[in-house]
Amino acid sequence: MARRILAMTTQTTLTATADTTNLVNGSYPYALQGSSSTQLTNIWEVSIAGQAASSSSPTFMLLSYDSTIGTGAQTQGTGGTDIATNPATAALGSVVGVGSVFATILPQRSATGHLLNCSLNAFGGVYFWRANRVEECMTMLGNTASLGSMSLSAFTGGTTGLIGCHTIYETL
Amino acid sequence: MPGVFSKRSFEGYLEIDHRDSPGISQELSDRESSGNFRPIPAEGGKKLQLITKRCSHCPRIVIMRPERTRARGYCPKCDGFVCDDCELKRVITGVCRPWKQIIDEWYDAAAKGQVPKIILP
Repeated sequence: MARRILAMTTQTTLTATADTTNLVNGSYPYALQGSSSTQLTNIWEVSIAGQAASSSSPTFMLLSYDSTIGTGAQTQGTGGTDIATNPATAALGSVVGVGSVFATILPQRSATGHLLNCSLNAFGGVYFWRANRVEECMTMLGNTASLGSMSLSAFTGGTTGLIGCHTIYETL
Repeated sequence: MPGVFSKRSFEGYLEIDHRDSPGISQELSDRESSGNFRPIPAEGGKKLQLITKRCSHCPRIVIMRPERTRARGYCPKCDGFVCDDCELKRVITGVCRPWKQIIDEWYDAAAKGQVPKIILP
């Protein structure tokens, strides 16, 4: 299958949120959500670039499974994009849900499903993680809690600053 | 002729570039740690480059801190690295249930129309 890049140009509102608490619409870069019960998605790369302009901004980003899945129409927040790495990519039969805005129920980060600690100082800091082989990828399975949805959001603490980010994922 | 296999080929790569940033000091990391989350200490003015590994028994990515002195978890049955939580479970139960197997079982259940259940450590 083909890889896609889910990107956020600038996350202007980044709300630090505790585990098992509603992630506020548009205040985190994205949630990824499986669209069928047999869908498997691998995460290949996570990159976050700090964009805070003037002061130290320890920003504790966290990629994690969601223990509560968002429901209702899912759309991108301002600045969010999702595009195939190869323009010849055919559309998936069931498209993975992306975005940080949900119409009905808001997702909640799982307390036990933390996958990747992405903390950085958004004032000049750059965070980059990459898997070298498919065995090293994080996996999203199906479309139900807790393995069928994951989100990149800010954990409580620190002083969140502006960030831009991208994630490369591949749905099988 | 096939190349020589190295377990290092499974390693992921993590970089936190704080060369032009105040960074996250050890003291700040200690202060902001809460429950199951601890910010990665990455000093300002430096670039941190580390290897990462995915646990063989669960989907977590583990950052290999070079200053760690305790032994890392290892499962001789699946010949893979395991994270601390899974190592504890493995030592207590003696059971090896690799993540690959969990995914296979999950697919089997889903194909039979059953609701697959996976309990993370």
